[in-house]
Amino acid sequence: MTATALSGGASNTLFERFRKLNWTIITVLCALACVGVMMHFSVSSGAWTDMPLTHGIRFVLAMTVVIIAALLLDARFWLAIAYPLYAIALILLIGVELVGATRMGAQRWLDIGPLSLQPSELMKIGIVLALARYYHQLDARKTGTVLWTLPPFVMIAAPVALVMHQPDLGTSLLILAAGVIVMFLGGLLWRIVAAGAIVAVGGAILAYTTILHDYQRDRVNVFLGITDDPLGAGYHVLQSKIAIGSAGLFGRGYMEGTQSQLDFLPEKHTDFIFTMIVEEFGLFGGALVLGLFGLLMALTMQVAMRARSLFGKLAAAGVAATLACYVFINTAMVIGLVPVVGIPLPIISFGGTAMLTLMAGYAIVLSIDLHRDQHGARGWLW
Amino acid sequence: MIAKKGKRVGSTLPKRDSNAIFSRRAALMSFVGVGVMGSILFRMAQLQAENLFSGEYTDAADENRFDTRIIAPPRGVIYDRFGTVLAQTSKDYQVSVQLSEIDDLDAAVARVGAILGRDDTWKRRTIARIDRTKRYEAQPIAVGLTWDEFNAINVRLPELQGVTADSADVRAYPYDIVYGHPIGYVQKATQRDIDRALEDPAQGQSRAMYLRNPYVRVGKAGLEVSMEDTLHGEAGWRKVIVNARGVEQGEDEEERREPRRGSGVVLTLDHELQRTAMQNFGEQSGGAVVMDIYSGDLLVMASAPGFDPNLFVNGIGQADFDAYNNNEKKPLFHKAVTGVYAPGSTFKMIVGIAAKQAGMEDNWSTSCGGGFFYGGRTFHCWSRHGRMNLHDAIKHSCDVFFYQAALRAGPERIAAVSRQFGLGQLYDVNVPNVRAGLIPDPVWWRENRNEGWTGGLTVNYGIGQGAMGVTPLQLAVMAARLGNNGYAVVPRLVRDAPGVTEPGDPPHMNGIEAEHLARVRDGMFGVCNEPGGTAMRAGNLELVRHPETGAAVPLTPETRGWAPVQIAGKTGTAQVRALGNNRGRHYSTIEWRFRDNALFCCFGPWHEPRYACAVIVEHGGAGSSVAGPIAREIMRATLLRDPSRRAPARLAELDAAFNGGRA
Repeated sequence: MTATALSGGASNTLFERFRKLNWTIITVLCALACVGVMMHFSVSSGAWTDMPLTHGIRFVLAMTVVIIAALLLDARFWLAIAYPLYAIALILLIGVELVGATRMGAQRWLDIGPLSLQPSELMKIGIVLALARYYHQLDARKTGTVLWTLPPFVMIAAPVALVMHQPDLGTSLLILAAGVIVMFLGGLLWRIVAAGAIVAVGGAILAYTTILHDYQRDRVNVFLGITDDPLGAGYHVLQSKIAIGSAGLFGRGYMEGTQSQLDFLPEKHTDFIFTMIVEEFGLFGGALVLGLFGLLMALTMQVAMRARSLFGKLAAAGVAATLACYVFINTAMVIGLVPVVGIPLPIISFGGTAMLTLMAGYAIVLSIDLHRDQHGARGWLW
Repeated sequence: MIAKKGKRVGSTLPKRDSNAIFSRRAALMSFVGVGVMGSILFRMAQLQAENLFSGEYTDAADENRFDTRIIAPPRGVIYDRFGTVLAQTSKDYQVSVQLSEIDDLDAAVARVGAILGRDDTWKRRTIARIDRTKRYEAQPIAVGLTWDEFNAINVRLPELQGVTADSADVRAYPYDIVYGHPIGYVQKATQRDIDRALEDPAQGQSRAMYLRNPYVRVGKAGLEVSMEDTLHGEAGWRKVIVNARGVEQGEDEEERREPRRGSGVVLTLDHELQRTAMQNFGEQSGGAVVMDIYSGDLLVMASAPGFDPNLFVNGIGQADFDAYNNNEKKPLFHKAVTGVYAPGSTFKMIVGIAAKQAGMEDNWSTSCGGGFFYGGRTFHCWSRHGRMNLHDAIKHSCDVFFYQAALRAGPERIAAVSRQFGLGQLYDVNVPNVRAGLIPDPVWWRENRNEGWTGGLTVNYGIGQGAMGVTPLQLAVMAARLGNNGYAVVPRLVRDAPGVTEPGDPPHMNGIEAEHLARVRDGMFGVCNEPGGTAMRAGNLELVRHPETGAAVPLTPETRGWAPVQIAGKTGTAQVRALGNNRGRHYSTIEWRFRDNALFCCFGPWHEPRYACAVIVEHGGAGSSVAGPIAREIMRATLLRDPSRRAPARLAELDAAFNGGRA
């Protein structure tokens, strides 16, 4: 690999770079992680072991690695690994399809020795980087042709199809959304956007009738009000709405949420943690957490805007888009705006993989921000 | 910015600036993001606004976390007339399971069984009994534990997820078989009770819910069922906080309502006499009733063989139930009020009074040659008595005399006098299944048998045979009304309970001449005390009167010479199958269920009557040899004890003492 793709703007000393890190983003990430630890402390009814402690340690470790990675690796590195990462993720997804272990009814995990890997998570980063690189290297005028729009479509469609087949509707939606947003930002023609929107609606209907698994269709049915099943698929959302609706402006108080503490709210430490935040801290607390996420998105977009290379712009914006998809789908789900799909609230929900994915994204974002003056040469592969 | 130009990139393509496009579209996407976030916040605010007006989410959250748990009220105590406790509520140690907390029910029950040392059969039955639909309620699986068993379970509880050990109120009947019939028992409500509650608009869903509570018991037999409302008390409740699996997390003490314990009931029964009566039946089957001839207080209401109500409280086992149910002596059958028997010769006093009313002269007599020819057939007498007047005919129980007396009186008059003396009447003595028996007359005969009354039926009527039937209770009422010289005393079983008052003086029966009564009473005295009387043995009570106090005391060498205490009575031997079949056969050769019923009724003491007694022994044989001796023992004990002259217990004091000041 040559270092010609991106050049210039490299920082001088390690300390200098450390000082120049985007500390605002790091602070917001830490604040969100603190909210997570606090909520897990409440989930555990006031015990540090093991959820709040595990969550905190995980975040501190991940944050440390992110900072080190951002200090040591510049945008050229991310550009270089973009396609290989995408390729590896795709191969692993195919591997899951062939030999993956089934856990909790879905085939998502690949056991490699002692390591359990969820290739779909890797793909979330892989798709963003690969598409960023694609558009970075594509002549601006070619982005305006249908022909050159086909490869990114295939790049998105392949993993989305594989992940949906696992079945993991939430992750495939995330990959699709992040991919499409990167394409859009990369310069997708408006008429293709329009055509895509029509196809998307048609595809959704098709997916509903043929591809979706029964439990997924149940969730959609309940959401659309076709079926009413308060003890089955609708139970989660019903309990979540009860918790949010009864919370009031400032909530029932920390560790006082009846729906959460008495287990009426299911999955409160993962997918429905936002409900618990609202139940215990009210509309005010929910808005505060949403505001923190909004701030993080804005800061990430700021990184994208001031990066000089298109790759840097698209990669950072892709991470912002992934974050936005996570946050919006999750919160819209717990208040019943969209059907239940298994998507956690990043950084706050308990669980290693989602945090790892997002933090990996922020390693890229911080690194791009640190090396934002590196500007790119295009089409160097040809 | 553009470093190398692709060779084939045609200049025909429009020029585009990727960075500019990115900036524009990034701004657009940011707006979209702000819009999405706004709508999410709006939706949250909307949910809370809805709740502000309707309260639906707050209500739903409260409904989730609060659960009302019923506290079953302690059931009222049942006392005998002097305060002996006959039925009470005591603590029972039991083990319960809550299905929602148990993953492997089989294993859990097996572990409890192992600790308690129960076998596989117990395990199988226990699992079969568990109601799988009640996942969030504690269901008792082992009851009546000893203190040691209870402790053994308690120390192992931490490893027994979903298993609880606690104490619950349980009904206990300390004298088991003695009061099985009059008092009955309580049990869990059956599905039929629940369905009935649901159908009844006055009870409805909450009552049905209450009945489903595993700790609630309702009366299912005897006084327990007819006095249910008095005994039951009022349920209390606790408002508890539960988690999603229904496990109690805490209680809202302010919302707690304590149950109101059921009121006690004081019976008219005298425990000593009731026990004496039950003991004297031995292996025999039948019923006995003793009553105060003025107040109507039932001092004895016995039905033999008895059954143990304690077995029923927690659900009787199939083997025990079969043993009761298949017994030909029908232990579960309340013979004292439900058993209907032909009165046989005990009916002769009624016929005598009816004949006197019809104008039979005092000195009218007939000659008994062992039979009476009427309507083309011979009605037999059990002996050849020779010349008989009313007094002698009662004393010797001559059938021929009463065949003719019945013909003189006529069926209508006999039926009317029967009813006046309480036969064929229903009495509300606070137990279920009281039967009215049957006093047939020509009108009834036409309506029910679709044929005319015949003289032959009248002849048979004279000796208490035929379609007619009486219960031991009615026989006792008859003896009482004879003993009190014609007062229409009415029996009662409950002496003191809310709403129960002392009975007034019973009204005198219309149309019953004192002179007619005196005649048959003299005959009854003869039965027990004059040579040739059919119940001389039963009449010999071996009791004498204390010259100063008048109290009955046993006859001993020291008391010899004091006036005897005597009774007046009448024996009866009633056939249970078609006339004549048993004649001439030795008793041991007749199948038990075809043997004659033995009856005896009496009142005493003769000088100052106060108590009446009736005894019916099913298939016992002759009234004089089987029913008489039992009645003698009961009557002797009654006269010695003289319960009506002792101060009865007061409910308020008894309940206050029993409850130890508890509300």
